Amino acid sequence: MNTFSALVKREVLDGKNGYIRVPVILTGITLILMVLSSLGLGSFMTFDGMKQEGINNLADVLNTLANKEPGDMSAGITGIYWLATGLVWVAFPFVIFFSLLGALYEERRDRSILFWKSMPVSDWQEVVAKFFTPVIMTPLFFLGVVIAAQIFIATFLSMLMVVQGGPVLGLWPLSLMVSSWLTFVVHYTLWLLWALPVLAWLLFVSSYASRMPFLWAVLAPIVLIVVEAMFFRSNMIANWFGLHLGGWQGEAYGALEGHIDGPDQAMQMLLGQAALEGLRYTLGSVQFWIGLVISGGLVFGAIKMRQRAL
Amino acid sequence: MTDTTDSLPVIRARNLSKSFGKFRALKDVSFEVPLGRIVGVIGANGAGKTTLLNSILGLGSYEGDLSVLGLNPSRQRGRLMRDVCFIADIATLPKWMKVEEVLDYVQSVHPRFNRSKALDFLARTNIPRGRLIRALSKGMTVQLHLAIVMSTDAKLLVLDEPTLGLDILFRKQFYQSLLEEYFDETRTVIITTHQVGEIEHILTDVMFIKDGRILLEANMDELTGQYTEVMVAPGKEQEAMALGPISTGTTFGKTTCVYKDIDREKLAGLGEIRRLGLADIFVATITGEEQ
Repeated sequence: MNTFSALVKREVLDGKNGYIRVPVILTGITLILMVLSSLGLGSFMTFDGMKQEGINNLADVLNTLANKEPGDMSAGITGIYWLATGLVWVAFPFVIFFSLLGALYEERRDRSILFWKSMPVSDWQEVVAKFFTPVIMTPLFFLGVVIAAQIFIATFLSMLMVVQGGPVLGLWPLSLMVSSWLTFVVHYTLWLLWALPVLAWLLFVSSYASRMPFLWAVLAPIVLIVVEAMFFRSNMIANWFGLHLGGWQGEAYGALEGHIDGPDQAMQMLLGQAALEGLRYTLGSVQFWIGLVISGGLVFGAIKMRQRAL
Repeated sequence: MTDTTDSLPVIRARNLSKSFGKFRALKDVSFEVPLGRIVGVIGANGAGKTTLLNSILGLGSYEGDLSVLGLNPSRQRGRLMRDVCFIADIATLPKWMKVEEVLDYVQSVHPRFNRSKALDFLARTNIPRGRLIRALSKGMTVQLHLAIVMSTDAKLLVLDEPTLGLDILFRKQFYQSLLEEYFDETRTVIITTHQVGEIEHILTDVMFIKDGRILLEANMDELTGQYTEVMVAPGKEQEAMALGPISTGTTFGKTTCVYKDIDREKLAGLGEIRRLGLADIFVATITGEEQ
């Protein structure tokens, strides 16, 4: 286990720009903009041009809300925290994509593979670590940064409310915040398991391509899709990619019953029923299991390539 | 104890072959390397040296039977690397890492790495520990690599052109630390280099390779004892030719003849004699092969 954690640590160190700097910088920019816009742009104590009777600033909005719909207030606040930290998730898939694509390619390009191979670490350990780090460590780092940012936002708004006279406690729907973080983990895990064959394809390309892994990763499937469309007039390959990269959610959650009325119910649905429903659909899907088998094959292929690589 | 270690060679190859497409880089090579030797693998570019070393290290596939420290290198590379270390002909330390981070990494994956020993070696160089490998000079990178290798207590060390691109001072220093700090009778070193003259005094054995075949495997003392060069005294040319030199030449207007397996005392009568250098022996062997 010591070896594995050393490998993961090395991978994180190698990719620290993507894993750590990108989320920290993007979140930093968001937070700075938020603080500046609340403090520096004239709306510190009163909203400009606010027509609504009796509502002059954020505190009044929150007070009104807290009195009317306390449940919706908690859910709304949690939702706002996620929205406010939404920018980092734009970068998220890119970090995973490029980390996997470089995983077994860069070490061959700069020949450091000869040094790694001079260490008592087997090729399967290396490949597993190089698969594990992008798909597991990326969300953990991103989530860590997001959690820190949400706590920062809550603290900042609390201070604002102290000055403006708003509901400070209402800004800390802690149990909801924590369960939203856990929900992220659950939904990401499901998403990951579905996307695994596509991600394993990227890893395999990085173990195989002698140059331009990006073109291999992207063009090869596109060519297959085009050929299929031209000669067979079908789009099974495209559908397969679509299904594994999120299309499954339509099937899984399409059956969710009930109408959503307000943020509170939406949040409850997301946290409880949806996760269960997703898991149930996933485990029962033949496509899902075939995908896992394909992933296993591709990772095995990557290990074989790593054994021969110089 | 001595018997078992003596009877078990560090490397044993039987009919080792390797092809790249139609090109056969190694052709049915068989040899053994016993414990406690420093073996020089000498050959021209493309002779198959690196292919041979890569097979021994489990880098890439091969056909035939190969056992290194009792292990199968192609299937057990991870295990093998606990006792084997190598430096390839190009700088392979990860350029994005800091010196300190490389040490951390090796320490956490290598059960036999002695960090304080490595730090000891580094203290004698001017390599800053916080610097990126990328920012080190070629010489410093090799020094760092050697420091790591010598601190891992490897039983077999494989060096493929380790001093390529280094200046003469570094090269001397490199081989000196290898002899003084690393080598003893429980360890084995295999080394290839084009600067044959610089390593011949440290070698115990040599292996000449040409076109994927081993031309010659010999003990250094025996081999250099076989060859004698004579600077023939004026008037003795006919006598010299009669003894059948394997090659002749002219230096400073005098004829020089190279003999193999001819008694030195007999040759001493012909003129000034000296031992032949390894590089010349290699050339003589290769040309002898071609004739």
